[in-house]
Amino acid sequence: MARIIVVTSGKGGVGKTTSSAAIGIGLALKGHKVVLIDFDIGLRNLDLIMGCERRVVYDFVNVINGEATLNQALIKDKRVSSLSILPASQTRDKDALTKENVGKVLEELAKTFDYIICDSPAGIEAGAMMALYYADEAIVTTNPEVSSVRDSDRILGMLASRSRRAELGLEPIKEHLLLTRYSPKRVEEGEMLSVEDVVDILSIPLLGVIPESQAVLKASNSGEPVILDIESDAGKAYQDVIDRLLGETVEFRFLVAEKKGIFSRMFGG
Amino acid sequence: MADASIEFKGSSFTLSVLHLRTSKLADIRADLIKKVAQAPDFFYLVPVVVNIEKLVGGIEYQAIKALIEEFNFTFVGFTGDIATEQRKLIRELGFSFVNTTKVSTAKQTAIAQESVTKIAASAECHLYTDKVHRGQVRSGQQLYAKNQNLVVIGSVSAGAEVIADGNIHVYGSLRGRAIAGAKGHHKAQIYCQNLEAELVSINGNYWLSESMQQHWGSPAFIHLTDSELTSSKLI
Repeated sequence: MARIIVVTSGKGGVGKTTSSAAIGIGLALKGHKVVLIDFDIGLRNLDLIMGCERRVVYDFVNVINGEATLNQALIKDKRVSSLSILPASQTRDKDALTKENVGKVLEELAKTFDYIICDSPAGIEAGAMMALYYADEAIVTTNPEVSSVRDSDRILGMLASRSRRAELGLEPIKEHLLLTRYSPKRVEEGEMLSVEDVVDILSIPLLGVIPESQAVLKASNSGEPVILDIESDAGKAYQDVIDRLLGETVEFRFLVAEKKGIFSRMFGG
Repeated sequence: MADASIEFKGSSFTLSVLHLRTSKLADIRADLIKKVAQAPDFFYLVPVVVNIEKLVGGIEYQAIKALIEEFNFTFVGFTGDIATEQRKLIRELGFSFVNTTKVSTAKQTAIAQESVTKIAASAECHLYTDKVHRGQVRSGQQLYAKNQNLVVIGSVSAGAEVIADGNIHVYGSLRGRAIAGAKGHHKAQIYCQNLEAELVSINGNYWLSESMQQHWGSPAFIHLTDSELTSSKLI
């Protein structure tokens, strides 16, 4: 059975696409067959992060309208062969998607893939609802600040009431909290909510904490998902996320600010 | 054609009725002096109807009226459960006889009381059942316990709203809005394990978070004392 996972947040710019890309590659590297779907119709970004923007011929909307087959539209990742990307359309609008036709595409994909990762657009409008409707699991991406937490809370409410599982009275969507852009130093200084604060407010299990990192911006611009940067702390944190998604118990890292050593303090390192 | 300048309409007023137990003017005067002395301002120009049903024998209507007016009351007329001839006499002497609607009023009051009791009873009954919600109430969600208490086993997030016609119990943090006694119930209360609410309201009296500082961030309950919201420590 394919696991359909939506990466969602409510608020924009918190790291949904970065996380989708990292999780997609991470799962594929573990040998699973993974497809990443960009639901952000009209604001296509996933292909950029994945570094395959020049290989987009057909997109999600073409498939839905019957202008292309799934095989024509799916882009195989050059780094990991078990990963495919279904890009969004940049020219159409989100009204192209309906529950019925999205359902058909997902059903088709479920035949071949183990994991279907849906990268949700921001907001709580039709596009975001479409991305979460068929989900079995949800990775709620949140920054440690009040407005992001509030929006995530709203999305959690939607997951519990507007999804297919909710409508059919099935087992509810499994919720995971992914805290991104976390800066232990700023938490200590009281400028940011702590992991404990966010977990307390949202009351869902913590899947991972991704530290604020220069590596993420560099990765986005170069089209090399940050999880492939195995030296960076963000890359390591995403690795931990993959292990936890696959059921392992991994201790949380990067939760405390690094203490500067005496030499770096003396020489201003 | 209607009278443009005047119009007669029936209205009910509360009038003071002075019950006389004796027709001896000296005794009445003595007691009136004592009574009026207690609160001279209160009785000044107060309209008074004199009940004479307990008096026997010859009644000096004119003298009674004069006596009443001497104490600065405004004399309205006589009343009482008396014979028709006596009423006729009073009218012939030039005084008003005021019919009491005592019996029917008593009946109405009884009926009203009964229905009030019934309404109260039915309301009380409804308020005792609980609507139980398991899990978080998320931002943007609204829960309403109609004619019930609301029990939330979980937290109420900021931006969420919980409403009950009865009490509200939150076994978690209350960060959103809580409105208890929504249909008007001054005994409704709000209980929570952690008070960080945006707004609490009982029977239409509300507090924004700045008014909850005394028990902010701790287990507390909110109730009404003399239609003023009060918060108290829960544990």
